[in-house]
Amino acid sequence: MKETCSFLIIFLLPVIYAEAQIHSESSAITPAGYQAQVISEIWWWMLGISSFISALVLLLLIVGLKLRREGTPRPPGGDLWFIVSLGLVLPFVILTGLLLYMLIATNKLIPPNADLTINVTGHMWWWDVEYPAEKIRSANELYIPTGKDIRVELRSRDVIHSFWVPSLSGKTDAIPGLVNTHWLRAERPGTFWGACAEYCGLQHARMMFYVVALSPENYERWVNERKRSKVPTAAQSAGLNAFMDEGCSECHAIKGTNAQGDVGPDLTHIGSRLSLGSGTAVNNYGNLAAWIANPQAIKPGNKMPRAYLPPEQLHSLTSFLMALK
Amino acid sequence: MNSEEQKPESNADGKGERRAAFEKVWKAPTGFEDWFKTVNNQPFGNRFMMTSFVFFLLAGVQALCMRAQLAVPDNDLLGPEIYNQLFTMHGATMMYLVILPFLEGLAIYLLPLILGTREMAFPRMSAFSYWVFFFGGVIFYTGYLFNAVPDTGWFVYPPVSLNEYSGLGLDFLLVGLGFIEIAGVGTGIEIATTILKFRAPGMSLGRMPLFAWAWLITAIMIIFAFATLFGATVMIEMDRALGTCFFRPQCGGTPLLWQHLFWFFGHPDVYIMFIPATGIVSMIIPAFARRPIAGYTLIAVAIMATGFLSFGLWVHHMFTTGIPLLSFGFFAAASLMIALASGTQVFAWLATLWRSSPDYKTPLLYVLGFLFLFVLGGVTGVMVAIVPFDWQVHDTYFVVAHFHYVLIGGVVFPILAGLHYWLPLIIGKMPSERLGKWSFWLIFIGFNLTFFPMHYMGLKGMARRVYTYPESLGLGWLNLISSASAFILGAGFLVVAYNVVYSRKRGVTAPRNPWNAGSLEWSVTAEMPNYVFLAPPVIRGREPLWDQSDEPHDPYLESIAKALKNEPAEWRAALVTDAVTGEPQAIQRVSGPSYFPIIAALGLLVTSVATLFQGYLVALVGTIFTIIVAGLWLWPRESELELMRRSKLPSKTGLPVEPTGSAAAPWWAMVGSLAVIGTIFGVLLYSYFYLRVYSPEWPQGSIKPPNFSGGAHYLLLLTSLGSILWARRAYNKADAASAAIALTVTALLAALFIAALSAQLADAEFAPSRNAYASIFHVTSWHMAALASGGALFLITAATRIAKHKNYLKGYTTLHLQITELCWYFTCVTALLVYLTLYVSPYAF
Repeated sequence: MKETCSFLIIFLLPVIYAEAQIHSESSAITPAGYQAQVISEIWWWMLGISSFISALVLLLLIVGLKLRREGTPRPPGGDLWFIVSLGLVLPFVILTGLLLYMLIATNKLIPPNADLTINVTGHMWWWDVEYPAEKIRSANELYIPTGKDIRVELRSRDVIHSFWVPSLSGKTDAIPGLVNTHWLRAERPGTFWGACAEYCGLQHARMMFYVVALSPENYERWVNERKRSKVPTAAQSAGLNAFMDEGCSECHAIKGTNAQGDVGPDLTHIGSRLSLGSGTAVNNYGNLAAWIANPQAIKPGNKMPRAYLPPEQLHSLTSFLMALK
Repeated sequence: MNSEEQKPESNADGKGERRAAFEKVWKAPTGFEDWFKTVNNQPFGNRFMMTSFVFFLLAGVQALCMRAQLAVPDNDLLGPEIYNQLFTMHGATMMYLVILPFLEGLAIYLLPLILGTREMAFPRMSAFSYWVFFFGGVIFYTGYLFNAVPDTGWFVYPPVSLNEYSGLGLDFLLVGLGFIEIAGVGTGIEIATTILKFRAPGMSLGRMPLFAWAWLITAIMIIFAFATLFGATVMIEMDRALGTCFFRPQCGGTPLLWQHLFWFFGHPDVYIMFIPATGIVSMIIPAFARRPIAGYTLIAVAIMATGFLSFGLWVHHMFTTGIPLLSFGFFAAASLMIALASGTQVFAWLATLWRSSPDYKTPLLYVLGFLFLFVLGGVTGVMVAIVPFDWQVHDTYFVVAHFHYVLIGGVVFPILAGLHYWLPLIIGKMPSERLGKWSFWLIFIGFNLTFFPMHYMGLKGMARRVYTYPESLGLGWLNLISSASAFILGAGFLVVAYNVVYSRKRGVTAPRNPWNAGSLEWSVTAEMPNYVFLAPPVIRGREPLWDQSDEPHDPYLESIAKALKNEPAEWRAALVTDAVTGEPQAIQRVSGPSYFPIIAALGLLVTSVATLFQGYLVALVGTIFTIIVAGLWLWPRESELELMRRSKLPSKTGLPVEPTGSAAAPWWAMVGSLAVIGTIFGVLLYSYFYLRVYSPEWPQGSIKPPNFSGGAHYLLLLTSLGSILWARRAYNKADAASAAIALTVTALLAALFIAALSAQLADAEFAPSRNAYASIFHVTSWHMAALASGGALFLITAATRIAKHKNYLKGYTTLHLQITELCWYFTCVTALLVYLTLYVSPYAF
């Protein structure tokens, strides 16, 4: 029975994992963050002005073509006045206004100091997330308190990536050899979808992440939860053994154990993660087992090799990891 | 010119013989030879257009495959590997192999007709550029044979494009790109020279059609932009093949340097495609409005402003890279200023069309479609120049929508308008109106349905260059509509192709000037001879084919035109006029059929394919072979010079047949080539100081750079200024022997310099692959040595020619000396800058 179950898990779940979804927001024009709010205001203004100009041009074109004139061609009188006033003066006035508005708005986007700093490092194709003050390490998701200015320090381990959460803010590149700063400030709680926005190789499309904004109290609770030590129980030690024996620890770290690899995502709290494979699949027992058994089937080309585990061992490993909340 | 003039006359005073000789000298080779030997502007214009159309079909198929993959969320139809190859090849093909080559082909075909001259300035350069472009395109696609298709995007950003992350496919892309850049600058120099110097008598700059204005600015932009890209391409290929460190963060380089260099090319490149498109529009609108273009001067100024400003806003592609906010204001303002130039043009076209009661034929429909779509692409362009908004939409489908509105709406629509408009001049038949209208509506509707939803997708979280997107974005339906509509768009393009084929076979024969246009190209038909104009047309106004009864006659220009009627009959020549006034200056020889262009292109192909597979010895042989072929190509034949010297034309017209200085086309070729080489030095010096500012210590790795005296060999070049001045003085005193000796001394100093520089580089404690400082030091020095070698070749050949023709110190001999001087002074000035940068600047500040 158990074997049949494992069989189903390994071979069928990759097919149906896409059915489950993480409810998240990803729209730049229905913002939840301060920066995105300022930018979306710019957008609505620009949309209005642009519609006006486009309509004006279209109207002039249609009227000019509808007004017919028989016989000789129209003499050039009035042309210069028309071109200079509509083609130069009008855009000059509009664009100068827009430029000033932009300069003022841009200044508003950079807060004077940070309430919280998070280090984010781009890897092919996932995000390492570190809270240096709180000594928390995670991957592919950021938990932040609402109403606070968050400084995200962006680095890259390999190629250029770009950190983008449309509902909260614009994007900033993570460039190898440089440290870039990106600012976030969520105005209300929610789960916000993010993605890599700079082409970074094969699985650029599957380099997504989530920003979870919690109320300050809930955020405090979350931090305390993360700080609590997670020594595996006896029931889980079989899973930990499998983790160490199968070489998982070469690449992955679990705090409080001997697993200290830093090539792949930190798995200290893997059981509480929203997604697997950097937003590729929802995190649950079935998907995690399927991922361990054959990550290449779910996210082809990712750096994790396939594990050839007997079903019982796969089960204990998966249960152990899912228990790491 | 009327049709009666096309037939050989036969009368007693030998005019008929002259005419027959003239026809013979301009006759194109036939059969097999025609394929590889011919050099005329018309076949090469056609070849550029047809080849780029084939590439366009490939890019279109790639686009449809991409849309199929994106039709539904989480699709695995093609998978990431193939999708990434597709978007790379689609972008690279469209940017490098389709739009610009097609526009260049149209320009090469039409410019002599529009300007009223017999040929392009350097006919063999047209041929060479075509072959090099063709080989470049083939190399692009060779990857498919080796299953090594480039997959880094057309922008080849390092580190993804460094050898750690991408394989042979990218080398194919980069080497193919090198070819296309060479073809690009070659065509740029040729087109600029043709427009500046090969105009009909009386065609002052103020009477020049806007098509030529657009191409003049574009050609100059091509020279600087493509030379920049060439420098950058060679640098990144060195990082890949030789292990230099320009863009490699592990050894002191920075990937951001590539972005600066690439967009310094890439942004102007957009305008390099757009400005010729506006040139097309400015020709078609007056023809249909039946009145001269409104705001001619404003449009010309707008084109110049666009060209100039486009080099000042590359950073607006880099707003998300975290560079200082302060600089953004400047680049955003520059981006907005370009909008003023575009606004001026749009309202000038509207003013021209105002109450003009035009005939709604296919070309005009495409122009009207262009006006509407370009305004939409323009306003989103202003939006992305607004920095905070760009942070949100950069690298999303909003930008995909924006630049397809600009490049399809703003460039391809005018190209299609131009194609239908000039087809009567190319195939001699009228395009079918019914098919034309079908194609227009299919393309217009298909295009908008495909790309308009993408604005929204970008704002809703869809990033660019993703092979798939999660269902949670909620964009499944829109993507499906977009994908389905892409096939409507594709069908529209097929109808265009069918229209060309159908009209060519079944179409109505085109009458002369079917649209009743005012510009000179419509004075001929598709049956025009190779030389187009038997006698240069005299230009008296902006619209030579419309009523010019108000414009005064110029008896001098008319006498020159008369004297040049089927003359010279012994060699191919065209009239050279003053760059500003259009006054006749000289009768310039233009080259005839030759195998040299294709052989030189083949030599280049051998060199680069050998480099690709690390066969450096073969590459060296290929390089030397190419240089020898180029030398033979450029060397004037004595027999032909004899013919020219016996001609009576100079006494009849007062114009030289062996022009010197700026009246000679070769002088302009040298100026253009030096602009290219200078730009590449600019790339290297920019990189030097960029890396210095970027690095915490300079020179990196505690290297002790050579100091003032370490660069003492540069003094040799300073000394050589004395010897070349001496050569000029001796030449002016008609002392050929001293001039030849002085030039030889200069060449010897150059050789000594090269030897000393090579010795220093060989002895240097730091190899080019040690760090970015070492890389830039070595590569700049290599380029300096290469320039000095080229200069030395000119010095030696000039010395030889002066020694050999000591009794003929004028004409070509003088020109050879002038060109050599130009080259050598340039070399010395460059050497001073390189010396100051490499040897003085690390100690000075």
